[in-house]
Amino acid sequence: MKGDQIPDPDHIARFCRPLQVEDGQIQATAFMLRSNEPSLSVNWLEFLNCSNRDSEINEIRNVYAAKLSIGARAKIAVLNVGEVREKILTKSPDRRKIEVLHDPDPIKDGLPDPSHSGIYNLKQDDELIAELILETVREAYLARH
Amino acid sequence: MPEINYYKMPDESDPKRIPSIIYGSQLIEDNSPSDYPSAAWVVPRKIIPKKAHYKNTAFVNQEEFETSITDLPENQDPITQTTLLKREEDQVQELIFRIKKSKSICYRESLANRLLTLFNDAKEEDPDCLGIAAKSLRNFNNFLYLYTNLNCPTISLTPDYNIYASWKGEQGRVFSLHFLPNEDVRFVIFKPNDRHPERKIRVSGIATTDVLMETVMSYRIEEWIAE
Repeated sequence: MKGDQIPDPDHIARFCRPLQVEDGQIQATAFMLRSNEPSLSVNWLEFLNCSNRDSEINEIRNVYAAKLSIGARAKIAVLNVGEVREKILTKSPDRRKIEVLHDPDPIKDGLPDPSHSGIYNLKQDDELIAELILETVREAYLARH
Repeated sequence: MPEINYYKMPDESDPKRIPSIIYGSQLIEDNSPSDYPSAAWVVPRKIIPKKAHYKNTAFVNQEEFETSITDLPENQDPITQTTLLKREEDQVQELIFRIKKSKSICYRESLANRLLTLFNDAKEEDPDCLGIAAKSLRNFNNFLYLYTNLNCPTISLTPDYNIYASWKGEQGRVFSLHFLPNEDVRFVIFKPNDRHPERKIRVSGIATTDVLMETVMSYRIEEWIAE
């Protein structure tokens, strides 16, 4: 349900544009907000109810393909919710308490994104926090099928 | 003992906070555009000569050079959004070309190729976007001329198409720079805490490009990112 806190043991996927990947390595810029963006868009993997990670990633690829222009070098970063929250709380200069909330996208043009979620309480000048989030990336996959 | 973990706020009143665009007395190499797929450098420009002096020594490029600063679009005749975008694209391509031809940057070829790739990827994703923010790229370009002894960084673009340069080293060392369009640079440093090896020092802050390396000197960044 919209606004639900995603449990710490669960995982989220972040779409990383080719501009934010060099030599296959995801960069901290993948975890920075655009101007006027209220939260960092992610997808809640456990919400998809798939049997394994590969199925989850394929499902996420379908979602991205319907919503975004996917460059050949685009990647999917997988993060553990609890790890990200703990790292930012304990390592950020202002002991930032972020929230990872379910924020399903409404059906637009017949393209629902029910697992859509957001990382809240980030700011536009959060380079240090973006670098901390980068350190918690557990897995990375190509975003294209 | 707690980790050293603080944030340096910008000091707008600091007299050292001087513009970081660099001017000198000689032209940088920019005289053979025939092998580059753009006519950006033949577009007539209004040139504004200015001079500034800097005291940086250890990291600073000792070559004298002059770089022509194209007049900003807002100071020119009324223009359409499309013309504005085109002019910014031309400036970006011109700056990339300068990097490609600069003898003082030893990794100029790979860096220029990386910037072109980023520009093209951005345009492929959204043809109406900036590609790369010209003022951010100019800021980065000035940094490259000031500090020529640094290893080639990893380059990516922020969501606002600014240049983000990053160096990564052993034991989780990070030195990352976000080149803002206003000649400031926001920096992030992660390094081991020598007295407490299990802990890290994490610092972020902001400085003008010309005083950046002086500002972070106490963190001995140059020991692992310079040649």
